Amino acid sequence: MDDIAVRFEHVSMAFPGVLANDDVTLDIRRGEVFALVGENGAGKSTLMNVLYGINTPTDGKVFIKGREMTAFHPRAAISMGVGMVHQHFMLVPSFTVAQNIVLSQEPRRGRVFFASAAARRKTRELVERYGLEVDPDLPVEELSVGLQQRVEILKTLYRGAEILILDEPTAVLTPQETDELFAVIRRVVREQGMTVIIITHKLYEVMAISDRVGVMRKGRLVGVKDTSQVDERMLSSMMVGRPVLYDSLEKTGVPGEELIRVEDLSVRDSRGLPAVKGLSLSVRAGEILGIATIEGNGQSELIEAITGMRRAESGRVILRGRDATGLDPGAIRAIGLAHVPEDRLATGVSREDTIRDNLLTGRHREARFNRFGFHQRVSTIERYAAELYEKFDIRGAGTDALAGELSGGNMQKVVIAREFSFDAPVLIVAQPTRGVDVGAIEFIHSQIIARRNQGCAILLCSADLDEVFRLSDRIVTIYEGRITGEFTGPFSKEEIGWYMTGSRREKEAVQ
Amino acid sequence: MKGRLKRLNWGYLGSLTVSVLLAFAIGAVILLIAGFDPLEAYGAMVQGAFSNARHIGDFLEYAMVLCLCGLACVLGSRVGIFNVGGEGQLLLGAIAACQVGVWLTGLSAWIVIPAAALAAMAVGGIYALIPGWLKVKVKVNEVITTIMLNTVAASLCQYLAKGPWKNPNKNMVAATAQLDPRYWFGTVIPNSSLSTAIFAAAVITFLTWYVMQKTARGFEMRLTGHNPRFAFFSGIKTDRLVIACMVISGAMCGLVGMFRVYGAEHLYRSSISNQYYFEGLTVAMIAGYQPVTVIFLSFFFAILKIGAQGMELSAGVPNQIYLIIQTVIIFFMAAESGIFASLRAGAQRRKARADIRRKEGADHA
Repeated sequence: MDDIAVRFEHVSMAFPGVLANDDVTLDIRRGEVFALVGENGAGKSTLMNVLYGINTPTDGKVFIKGREMTAFHPRAAISMGVGMVHQHFMLVPSFTVAQNIVLSQEPRRGRVFFASAAARRKTRELVERYGLEVDPDLPVEELSVGLQQRVEILKTLYRGAEILILDEPTAVLTPQETDELFAVIRRVVREQGMTVIIITHKLYEVMAISDRVGVMRKGRLVGVKDTSQVDERMLSSMMVGRPVLYDSLEKTGVPGEELIRVEDLSVRDSRGLPAVKGLSLSVRAGEILGIATIEGNGQSELIEAITGMRRAESGRVILRGRDATGLDPGAIRAIGLAHVPEDRLATGVSREDTIRDNLLTGRHREARFNRFGFHQRVSTIERYAAELYEKFDIRGAGTDALAGELSGGNMQKVVIAREFSFDAPVLIVAQPTRGVDVGAIEFIHSQIIARRNQGCAILLCSADLDEVFRLSDRIVTIYEGRITGEFTGPFSKEEIGWYMTGSRREKEAVQ
Repeated sequence: MKGRLKRLNWGYLGSLTVSVLLAFAIGAVILLIAGFDPLEAYGAMVQGAFSNARHIGDFLEYAMVLCLCGLACVLGSRVGIFNVGGEGQLLLGAIAACQVGVWLTGLSAWIVIPAAALAAMAVGGIYALIPGWLKVKVKVNEVITTIMLNTVAASLCQYLAKGPWKNPNKNMVAATAQLDPRYWFGTVIPNSSLSTAIFAAAVITFLTWYVMQKTARGFEMRLTGHNPRFAFFSGIKTDRLVIACMVISGAMCGLVGMFRVYGAEHLYRSSISNQYYFEGLTVAMIAGYQPVTVIFLSFFFAILKIGAQGMELSAGVPNQIYLIIQTVIIFFMAAESGIFASLRAGAQRRKARADIRRKEGADHA
């Protein structure tokens, strides 16, 4: 028992309508890096939220270092030495690093007053002990995402965590930051004897960092292996439950005329700050231009300006040779543009309307769907929607169900089905597979490539760099609203990673 | 679509029925405490609404007002804008229509009545355009602006009826001049308020329902109300649509004012509307903003209200009991979604747990 850090015994977790964890029994050893992998909705986060006391399991027991968890509450879990770094950081942006780290367990002076010197001293001690370099006096909002994550880790260490849960820690990191994170993980495991549980769906990271790996599928733990005895292919088949064929996507044809042209575009974000600063790019027919960037560097504003969702400050957008600057989305779509938006919940679907209505939107004015041009032909619409539903393999309760009842991946299929059905020669695709299952990712990728081969000009933006590498013919890196580099294949992840963080200028300065 | 609609409607109808029954039960308890026999009172209420043709005409006319006001509210809410200013639009429409009739006295009814209707719709529509435009262009909350504009409209009408447009008959304190009888709408049931306006109202009701439920435009309205960003993203001109719906909603309210003047009152005074728009808005809320339900509930509440007035006369029970019943129904309908949601969630949890046990049982066996 002594070398077991965490033990799950027959843990089940039921949410209304779903069994998110189904009889999971699992031991995690002290001092190991344990990777938990699985598709979205496989129950990885649910299980870890049980361990962190956010979820109270419907059934089963959890032991931490041999002691049974009785109360399921984060405070109880923290006191038993569990720390968790969520995907979305829980930091106060305007507070300094030290203030964030001691938050909720602040050193006090005279029981009432915040002892700021003590907070800084303790932070510095932590930084030194674990070798996690960060300036205690900087406000968190001035830190890069990688450093913010480091602050989150320090916060859990400050609270005495011995078991550290990292939920998709690399989703927001550049390749370099990922390497640094892994170095940190190795150090805390080796030097402090920490136990680290890392939730991920990037299999090469599993191979790179973990000692053992557990695979979850549909709420069940389908296998636990020593990492040295598996490969990526094996893991992905375990995750999906069938062999996954990573076909090399066949690209055909040569680029044709220029369909997207952005000239010296400047856009402000919602706070009124410059987000895109004099950016120019061009995409030709039969070509996919990938944008490699870290979130918050202006790519969202760029796409919104191209598609008419946001007004550009200056510069021009030319689509199929026509000036589309300042037009509304309807007029831009009329030129021949379709758009898979990055935020499907807010922009991509209407959750309170049926899947049928969501699939129809945009085509609802077409003559074939309207008698006399205004009276909706219900049965024609239903046939059309059912066809798309079938073709894009949307899995839900039928076209009558509300779009909001779909899982994230299926909701995304609705968006893709609708936008790809327009046969528009210009496609703007943002985060096409965010939160989508492995099986559906293959399908969406093949659809994107098919459109490319038919001669569409595609602008692709994704936080998943592997996706950008896999699909793009050409990649531009954007940093702080400017293009920092342009690449044609074969792409070097290392090099593009440097340009994404704006390091090119620093490198040039050195030379 | 049919299957889903049926499912939804049953749930809704069930909670509506329960709410109404509970409301009558609570009303009965209050009546008992106040020393009345509830059965006798409710009997008198039914009698009050149906005992003679005049009462039937009155409740039909009131149902018409509730229905048009309710639909005007639904029209706004369909695109995500809440028109609380219908009362002001109604009053302004009424006084404008009335004054047009007074000014044009002497001309043929074929000219005067359309002119009055146009004036009522224009005034109501323009008065709704202000909050609609402010909402779309500068994101000013329409609930606040429309409520405030109600007061402005009511005061303006009061001023006009007391001042420049005052009735020449000195006994009338706050009323405009009376319309020439040849402009009055024909009566459908003698001595009641019911006029031929109800036929126009029926046409408007049908059109409103048809556009919202059956057309591509109605589809766009629904999308805009549910997710305006998605609607805009899909190419719908949402700003224009929201403003247009608000203006039409205001025009409908103005027209109700005109119907009240030309059909029932024959001049403008404060009894043109005693917060009738708010009663219609209440009906719309209870109906869950569904047009067909609004139509049926308008009749129900009109019967209740006219019945309660009859009850007061015949059984001496204060007609405020109507307000109590209405309020309790609103209360339960508002609580309904929460109560049912928690019941459903509980059932699902129990089912999921039972599934786990069953599976474990099978595993052990």
